[in-house]
Amino acid sequence: MGLEDMQARVHANKQLFENLWLMELECPSVAANIMPGQFVHLEVPDLQANILRRPFSIFDRDEDAGTVEVLYQAVGTGTRAMRTWEPGLVTRMIGCIGRPWEVPYDTERALLVGGGVGAAPLNLLCQELMASDVGVDVILGAQTEGALVCRARYERTCGREPACSTDDGTYGREGFATVLVEEALARAQAEGRPYDYAAVCGPEPLMRAASQLLMEAGVRCQVSLERRMACGVGACLSCVVDTASGKKRACVDGPIFDAEEVLWR
Amino acid sequence: MALMNVDLGGLSMKNPVTVASGTFAAGREYADFVDVAKLGAVTTKGVSLNGWEGNPGVRIAETPSGILNSIGLQNPGVEHLKEHDLPWLSGQGATVIVNVSGHSVQEYVSVIEALEESPVGAYEINISCPNVDAGGMAMGCSCASVEEVVGRCRTATERPLIVKLTPNVTDVTEIARAAEASGADALSLINTLLGMAVDIRTRRSVFSRVVGGLSGPAVRPVALRMVWQCSGAVSIPLLGMGGIATAEDAISFMLAGATAVAVGTANFANPHAAADVVDGIQAWCEEEGVEDVNELIGGLIC
Repeated sequence: MGLEDMQARVHANKQLFENLWLMELECPSVAANIMPGQFVHLEVPDLQANILRRPFSIFDRDEDAGTVEVLYQAVGTGTRAMRTWEPGLVTRMIGCIGRPWEVPYDTERALLVGGGVGAAPLNLLCQELMASDVGVDVILGAQTEGALVCRARYERTCGREPACSTDDGTYGREGFATVLVEEALARAQAEGRPYDYAAVCGPEPLMRAASQLLMEAGVRCQVSLERRMACGVGACLSCVVDTASGKKRACVDGPIFDAEEVLWR
Repeated sequence: MALMNVDLGGLSMKNPVTVASGTFAAGREYADFVDVAKLGAVTTKGVSLNGWEGNPGVRIAETPSGILNSIGLQNPGVEHLKEHDLPWLSGQGATVIVNVSGHSVQEYVSVIEALEESPVGAYEINISCPNVDAGGMAMGCSCASVEEVVGRCRTATERPLIVKLTPNVTDVTEIARAAEASGADALSLINTLLGMAVDIRTRRSVFSRVVGGLSGPAVRPVALRMVWQCSGAVSIPLLGMGGIATAEDAISFMLAGATAVAVGTANFANPHAAADVVDGIQAWCEEEGVEDVNELIGGLIC
């Protein structure tokens, strides 16, 4: 599937918690073709001083309605400007970019670990795994209860609540999500149904620690990496990631990488 | 239809628009957006003899109306270009300018020698990249080193030789004259302006090499001024670049003296930018009754 630069119309844009926002955009081609883990490169119009597009993973899609959802954290000039977008605003996005999650065909049980907005690119994967009858366990971590904005969506997808942790202990286990990863590994082992595959997305220290635990337990693990990006199509070599086989582009050689090939920063 | 073809120092271009080296890879990444044969030429990413890894750490920072980059000429080497990229470009019907990089004068010459049998329309000698320690800009800042590298490249090829200049000099016209005197057929200008960004939280530069190269609309007035200055200083044609994003920008560079123009950073914001500039120049010429795009070159009224 080739890349396209498409029009995208804002349908809804709402604040979920503090700087966490959810935007619904109409873009039928992306809604139809996005594969879990891929991303779009979104133009932020009318920012004269900020000329680059911004990369966002797709949190959810409605193929019949031709819409996709983007979960974003308003942290810089671009994402702060996006908070002001009203329904009807038309922008452009390039899609669908990058290597998707690659779940081995014989996977029977998978573990998904999302930290903060890192929960977003795992949701479509969760849906796909559930649809193909793979056993899925989900772990979500966030700073505080209110920031666990994906919890309800995962509960709907999985039919049960994901295991949660918060840094401040306001919801679920207090501390980092890695504690829950260790517990999940032990439980799966005890049940005699170990994980065949794990997908991790979140802050890099979390991805590094969680993937290490998972790989030590013999689980094939993939991570979704992010780097400062310019072109988003593989040309500029801005977003390179150090891997065991040299520098790779986060945009088109990733964003999904096998954890074992990543040389962490 | 206005005539659009131009002659850039012996390189025949079907229209005056190419892309700036390093912003378009070798075209394939943009093939979903731009028919590379529609461009006057595709200028490929800087290539060295055996390839370079590029710089570690952060490679890009957004700055007001521009970007700073510190890629460091990461490339897989000239053999890869010959085997994978040039055949594809040739198959697409593209006119090709290869940007040639080196750590030493001999490396520039060796890269050219390696390409002499390949489908290449012209060489662009990169003596202006600010993101490498040896070669690049280090060679483009004094008349003596410019004369040496351009002179040696000149003896290595009969093909059109375009020399890409850095704006990071006291007097760009001096360097332009040195390149012309040493056998350059055309000059590209400008490469990026040396810049810097600091992360005040870590008290470090954003980049591992501390400095980076500034491009995008922020540098356009500087680039335009340098094209205008050089057009009065040399008689060889100029390939103007620096923040060109629209046909209007391109036309302003041609009026200032550029025979052709390159679209660079704008490709990142709009993947069809180069093709849009071709269409836009054509449309503007028709609206304005310009029958031949060559009429624009140096048409500035001072």
